[in-house]
Amino acid sequence: MVDVSQHELVPEHTVLDDPDRVDEVLAEYNVSKTNLPKIKSSDPALPEDAEVGDVIEIVRDSRTTEQATVYRLVVE
Amino acid sequence: MSMQTPKEIGGIQFGLMDPETYRDMSATKVITADTYDDDGYPIDMGLMDPRLGVIDPGLECRTCGQHSGSCNGHFGHIELAAPVIHVGFTKLIRRLLRSTCRECGRLALTEEERDEYSEKLIRAEELGNDPNDVLKSAVRQARKQSYCPFPDCDGVMHDIKHEKPTTYYEVQDVLAGDYSERIAEAMQPDPDDEDGEGTSPRDLAEAVGVELERINDIMAGEFRPKSDTRKKLEKVLDVDLTEEDMNKLMPSDIRDWFEDIPDEDIEVLGIDPARSRPEWMILTVLPVPPVTARPSITLDNGQRSEDDLTHKLVDIIRINQRFMENREAGAPQLIIEDLWELLQYHVTTFVDNEISGTPPARHRSGRPLKTLSQRLKGKEGRFRGSLSGKRVNFSARTVISPDPTLSLNEVGVPDRVAKEMTQTLNVTERNVDEARQYVANGPEGHPGANYVRRPDGRRLKVTEKNCEELATKVEEGWEVNRHLVDGDIVIFNRQPSLHRMSIMAHEVVVMPYKTFRLNTTVCPPYNADFDGDEMNMHALQNEEARAEARVLMRVQEQILSPRFGENIIGAIQDHISGTYLLTHDNPHFTETQALDLLRATSVDELPPADGEEDGEPYWTGRTVFSELLPDDLNLEFRSSAGDTVEIVDGQLVSGTIDEDAVGAFGGEIVDTLTKVYSETRARVFINEVAALAMRAIMHFGFSLGIDDESIPPAANEQVDDAIGNAYERIDELIERYEADELESLPGRTIDETLEMKIMQTLGKARDSAGEIAEEHFDEDNPAVIMARSGARGSMLNLTQMAGCVGQQAVRGERINRGYEDRTLSHYQPNDLSAEAHGFVENSYRGGLTPREFFFHAMGGREGLVDTAVRTSKSGYLQRRLINALSELESQYDGTVRDTSDTIVQFEYGEDGTSPVKVSSNDDNPIDVEGIADRVIEAEFDSDVEKERFLGGREPPTNLSEYAGPGLNKAQGMEVESDD
Repeated sequence: MVDVSQHELVPEHTVLDDPDRVDEVLAEYNVSKTNLPKIKSSDPALPEDAEVGDVIEIVRDSRTTEQATVYRLVVE
Repeated sequence: MSMQTPKEIGGIQFGLMDPETYRDMSATKVITADTYDDDGYPIDMGLMDPRLGVIDPGLECRTCGQHSGSCNGHFGHIELAAPVIHVGFTKLIRRLLRSTCRECGRLALTEEERDEYSEKLIRAEELGNDPNDVLKSAVRQARKQSYCPFPDCDGVMHDIKHEKPTTYYEVQDVLAGDYSERIAEAMQPDPDDEDGEGTSPRDLAEAVGVELERINDIMAGEFRPKSDTRKKLEKVLDVDLTEEDMNKLMPSDIRDWFEDIPDEDIEVLGIDPARSRPEWMILTVLPVPPVTARPSITLDNGQRSEDDLTHKLVDIIRINQRFMENREAGAPQLIIEDLWELLQYHVTTFVDNEISGTPPARHRSGRPLKTLSQRLKGKEGRFRGSLSGKRVNFSARTVISPDPTLSLNEVGVPDRVAKEMTQTLNVTERNVDEARQYVANGPEGHPGANYVRRPDGRRLKVTEKNCEELATKVEEGWEVNRHLVDGDIVIFNRQPSLHRMSIMAHEVVVMPYKTFRLNTTVCPPYNADFDGDEMNMHALQNEEARAEARVLMRVQEQILSPRFGENIIGAIQDHISGTYLLTHDNPHFTETQALDLLRATSVDELPPADGEEDGEPYWTGRTVFSELLPDDLNLEFRSSAGDTVEIVDGQLVSGTIDEDAVGAFGGEIVDTLTKVYSETRARVFINEVAALAMRAIMHFGFSLGIDDESIPPAANEQVDDAIGNAYERIDELIERYEADELESLPGRTIDETLEMKIMQTLGKARDSAGEIAEEHFDEDNPAVIMARSGARGSMLNLTQMAGCVGQQAVRGERINRGYEDRTLSHYQPNDLSAEAHGFVENSYRGGLTPREFFFHAMGGREGLVDTAVRTSKSGYLQRRLINALSELESQYDGTVRDTSDTIVQFEYGEDGTSPVKVSSNDDNPIDVEGIADRVIEAEFDSDVEKERFLGGREPPTNLSEYAGPGLNKAQGMEVESDD
């Protein structure tokens, strides 16, 4: 099987393990978890240990800025 | 006249309505189907009861006391003789029937299952998923049960059959009528089995566990076995003794059933028990819409014509009464059921008259009635037709034509339009005289007035007869609806409105004749031309709108396009040819000529002359052009003509001014002026460039005819040679192909390789023909000037006109269609040559052969079809995209969110910048240095202050006589930098 997470076009996906970091992100944007964009738990780009309800940080290259950070909530 | 206080809508709730509420809000019960009596007065408790609101002017509403216009009308009600199903809820009713128990009304799910589903429902709502999916799966789960899962209830879950639109059947298995025959047949010995003996009644009695006598009775058809005995019989004999029985559920049965459903169960089915009860989906009371919602109209002959809804209500009341009479008279069940169905039909069509499977209720003329649902649905319905889009007053539409004397901020408005569209002038102490003058001019004179409004609210029409007299009466506090005059702001629009620059605000210039006039530089944002295009104009009706339009929507505020962050308004076509002629060869002008060029601009004094020629002073084209530039402009860029444009201190030192300098879609000078100076400066510049360019092109004269695309005979021969060469190479290729010597390119078949090579060769042939043609064109050839400057056309167009049109293609390949193995019957089958597959060796000027012409038409047709398909496809795609994105909004915290606050982008555009507010070019995403320099320049008056702010460099510390600037003997006297 191909591990898509190793592909150069797939940006870095990391699970925000630390609940404080999650709270920080939620506080920064003043949102509840469910207002974040979603990602399916079946998404092949997700790290192995991602579970439903986790918040994923994705750092990707951007055409307008060098790097753009987005957060996503893992859903079923 | 009292105005109702404006109210703010806090929220809207959708749900079912309690029949009791219908009765409470009803102004009257409606019992008679008649509308008006013989004297033309509405009948009490009839459909036009005066308590339901008033439509005739002058009458007073019997419920609220208001007159027509201010009374919104009031609902009445009809007590239905028997409950009927509301068609709008048939699917939900079916869902409830299938998932609840007939006996106890409870949802056929265990409590754990029920809780699980209600939790799933909450989760789905949180995540913005479709709650319908959860509801459907809950119903599916409940439907699987064949018995009520609760131990205290022995209800059987029968299958429910729904016959559209409003009939429901309960499907039960009952003992078949021919059960004795079926048993007897099953007891016969198996014909395939020779040893088989069949079953004797005695064996059967033993196996089933009933007395022999009873078995004999059953077999004789004298006793119907009970359900447990039946099941045992079926098991022993392996036979089906049942048949399906359809039991019709009357609306009253369904209502009783629904009344038993407990509140906590309907929540799982997506109904809020606090507001709605399922039994309310079965109507027992029908609300009667107020008369204002179904006004009757008086025809010319004095006859009244009623609204479709009223007609339908008449039907309902009639049937309702007949139903009651028949029931009281004790009519047979069959008749009652027929009437019940008829009542159901009328109530159904009252709600929706386009139900499949039901014939629509028709008017006497045969036209289907327009009932409630038809009023709301579809393009012309209430939502899409009356709420999302409406027809408006104060708008005008006519053909557009160009007027280069207007500013790009202006629009020429025909006087007859200006006299029809008005602006409201509030008369005050300071404009009383002005207002009187407008009124005195009357409705026919130009800056006149059409209406006045007195402080008591009375509106008077200004006529030719009364205008003089009315003018003297105008006082402070009056309102005058005056004509449009020069300087008024209006909104101007051309459809399709694909981007925000399709609707811009212009200042009015009233003009004679019948067309709207606009400056040619605003054609690109509207995508307008003058081949018959029409545009719309809207006059603004309040001060707030006018202010917003002036500040935000004026054309000059839209010079930069948010699509690519550069100017979309600028010089086009002849303007560009004009500036090219003016600046490319830098021609000399005498004083008269120079002043003539600048006469349409605001420049009225010439700069010092560039020199003298034959004793006369002269000015160069670049000097004349420089007069339009701000004095402190410094720029350097490459023009599309290929040279470097250098502007130093507002003087064009070298280079050609063409599309890349002043053109729409990213002309460098216009772009810089807008971003660095101001929109106003850019507007002035564009206006003046257009004016100067028009004078310039007229000075030189600019036209082209067919001879401008011709090349000398010698050149024609060269072209023929080049094409002949290509033909030879192709023949060679074909020979090699036929000899099977052609080597295929990687990933291609031999055939494909040959095709590609032929295409390549022919492409090169056309290019070399183009080069030859280009060599023979003069630099001052008008077509060349247009192509070089970017005004219109390309070198390819020229090549095709003068040299060779080239290969025609359909679907990106040479033309391969037509007859079997050949394109036309003029060629041998399987002819691979260039001419047999659509190569046009002639030029447009030279003329095409009939065969070439045919192939050219094939290629041209594809182009036409492509554009037609592409515009409709991309238009629909864009519409869908706009609808999907329309509710997204960038928030103050920089995020982009939808209406439910879900984040779509964590930072607008990922960089949080607006394309029109950022100056960027291909090398620098943002020109930080340029901006910083400009800010510092503007901030400090003197160089000393600037130096102090920037911190002048400290001289390096001198540590030795033999060190320091100019003293380093080892390395000579060169000054060395130490950083």
